[in-house]
Amino acid sequence: MKEQVGLQKKVCMLGGFAVGKTSLVKRFVSGIFSEKYHTTIGVKIDQKSQCVEDTEMLLVLWDVYGDDDFQKVRASYLQGSAGFLLVIDGTRKETVDVARHLHTLAVQTMGPVPYVLVINKHDLLDSWQVVPEMYEDLASSACLVLQSSAKTGEGVELAFAELAKQMLTT
Amino acid sequence: MASPSRPSPPKSSPKISLEDSQSFSDLRRLLLAPEQTELEQLKGRLEQFTLQPHDVGRVLPDAIRLRAKQDSRLLASMIPITQEALSLSIKQSPQLISDSIAPILGPAIRKAIARAMRGMIQSMNQTLEYSMSWKGLQWRLEAFRTGKSFAEVVLLHTLLFRVEQVFLIHKKTGLLLNHVVAEGVSGQGEEVISGMLTAIQDFVRDSFGQKQEDGLESLRIGDLTVWIEQGSGAILAGVIRGAPPIELREVFQETLETIHAQFSELLQAFKGDVTAFGDTRLSLEDCLQAQFEKKSKGLPIMFWILLGLVLLGLGMWAVQARSDHQRWAQLLERVGQEPGLVVTSVQEQGSKSIFYGLRDPLAINPEQILSEFGYSFEQAEFRLNPFMDLTPEFVHKRAMSQLRLPTSVVVSWEDATLVLAGEASHSWIQQTQLLGPLMPGVTQIQMEELVDTDLKQFETLKAKLEGNTVSFGLGKSSITQDQQSALLSLAETIRDMDQMAMVLHISPQIHIQGFSSPDGDRKLNQALSLQRAKSVLNVLMNRSFQAITFRVEGMGPSSSTQALSSMGSGESLGRLVGFRVLLAPDRASESRP
Repeated sequence: MKEQVGLQKKVCMLGGFAVGKTSLVKRFVSGIFSEKYHTTIGVKIDQKSQCVEDTEMLLVLWDVYGDDDFQKVRASYLQGSAGFLLVIDGTRKETVDVARHLHTLAVQTMGPVPYVLVINKHDLLDSWQVVPEMYEDLASSACLVLQSSAKTGEGVELAFAELAKQMLTT
Repeated sequence: MASPSRPSPPKSSPKISLEDSQSFSDLRRLLLAPEQTELEQLKGRLEQFTLQPHDVGRVLPDAIRLRAKQDSRLLASMIPITQEALSLSIKQSPQLISDSIAPILGPAIRKAIARAMRGMIQSMNQTLEYSMSWKGLQWRLEAFRTGKSFAEVVLLHTLLFRVEQVFLIHKKTGLLLNHVVAEGVSGQGEEVISGMLTAIQDFVRDSFGQKQEDGLESLRIGDLTVWIEQGSGAILAGVIRGAPPIELREVFQETLETIHAQFSELLQAFKGDVTAFGDTRLSLEDCLQAQFEKKSKGLPIMFWILLGLVLLGLGMWAVQARSDHQRWAQLLERVGQEPGLVVTSVQEQGSKSIFYGLRDPLAINPEQILSEFGYSFEQAEFRLNPFMDLTPEFVHKRAMSQLRLPTSVVVSWEDATLVLAGEASHSWIQQTQLLGPLMPGVTQIQMEELVDTDLKQFETLKAKLEGNTVSFGLGKSSITQDQQSALLSLAETIRDMDQMAMVLHISPQIHIQGFSSPDGDRKLNQALSLQRAKSVLNVLMNRSFQAITFRVEGMGPSSSTQALSSMGSGESLGRLVGFRVLLAPDRASESRP
């Protein structure tokens, strides 16, 4: 039987519908990007071992389905999270509002936990709509704001590494 | 509202005289003397202050408790000291440490061993119980087809229920605190399963508007059941194959309660560090229970078949052993009866039997007996010393062998006497007369019935010679042409006789007897008869003889009827020469003509 990692942290992936949360997780967990759009019907959980300052940490990633008109994120899924990734689709400005709503829900449910604000789909700069002014409020309380691409892998490792680091110190 | 006022200080200090000063000092002494003394004492103590152990001892427990509450610096600083102290203590008095932890370790070790043994024995029992049955064979085939192990197939078929995995999950975060699996079950992605189980619970709870403390109790997929026990801080989920009994619930509940009792603080303050929950393993392993189908009474058919085969084998072995024994006994009997063989002992050397004893060289080759009874050289061997068997049979055999008995001679044995009959050459008879008595076991040789073929032939030739006469005419003594050829023929006979005489070591003397007719002058007839004998001798002497000598005799008128009758009738009225052969042992005394 394999050794159980001593330190575990629950991390939620939060963001609007089709902002690329699942792809980010897939990129982070296996390092292989899947073109196929994965529609999550509830929550999908993955795990990844991460080393932070000589401490091995197991990130249990709760890929919570995106919030849209038809489905609402279940607050109970967010309980007990030590941190979260808030994902915005850079090509869809409406996802900023969804992120704001989810941030509020997260703070209510989890309390003041560290989070990383991720502006995803940076590989699609041609259709970019989101500008920093739109998410200033979210960025101010985030421990890191970065632009990412699940397709190219840009910013993915950094986002999780920074979140893990923050979770270790809090 | 009146504000609080203070007395204002005097604007200027009045002059104080010496007396005043003295008085003031007295007054002060009078008013403050006890306090002054105390102050002096306190001052003295402060100047000479040293911390007394009993002072520290009084406050130390509270001080430690208060400091530990503040942060973990005290704890951190104590760790190396504690470790060093413990290490030193173990080095100096290991017995003390051993005695101290024995009450904890002992039961824990016993429990762990008992659990492991129970699992192992159960698994072995299962496998053994079914390995020889007809069903077992079918399952073995199934195992072969499906690529599963036989034990696994047996388990699946005989399992009533088995708790395969137990998850201890932190209720709030869904993180896995600990996880145990049954023997032979491989766990995979337990942390993810733990999260998903929590999510599913949340999903169901949210979907159907249940309270937070409510939760899923059971999930069922195929023959797998997941039983979930809810606690305030943790969830215990058991993955069970088969149909678990309701009593198992109680086991789960008790385990979860025990864990809550022991780890309540840790569960409350849980921030992702699961190492502290490693100690829940033993409790969780208690939940890994299993129950198997009781096998019906009676022994499996394969057992009977095997028993039958064993009995058959034993029977065959017994028959074979008996046959071998009989064969051996027969061999021993045969060896014991075999003339010329004396076995004194039989010894076993490994898988080989060695016969020690004696053997007459004329006895049968013992290897031949072994092969007759089907024993190889690897199984039995004779190591025999030569000896001489004096039984009549072997004396006979030895006689046959040593005397080079001609086929014409018959040997018999009568009371230590070798009786020879039949015909044999003169030389053989002479040799036998010499050697016979020297042979072991022979005291006497009887040869009365043994015919000397050489002597017999000599006698025949002698009779032939003596049957011949040479006739002469009236008053004649000379040899005619016809007589010459007849005499030469006789000379051949005599030569044969001579050769036989050589063989027989005898010196025969041939008397050539001349006769005359009775008519006429007696004296003349006498001379004529001698002359006739001489004439014959002359012809015969043309040949040389080695052993035979001749003597001529003038017999005169053949008046003697005896002489005439012995020489046959004479047509020549007695005018003839006849032959008489005498065996004279002493050749030297005879004179040659």
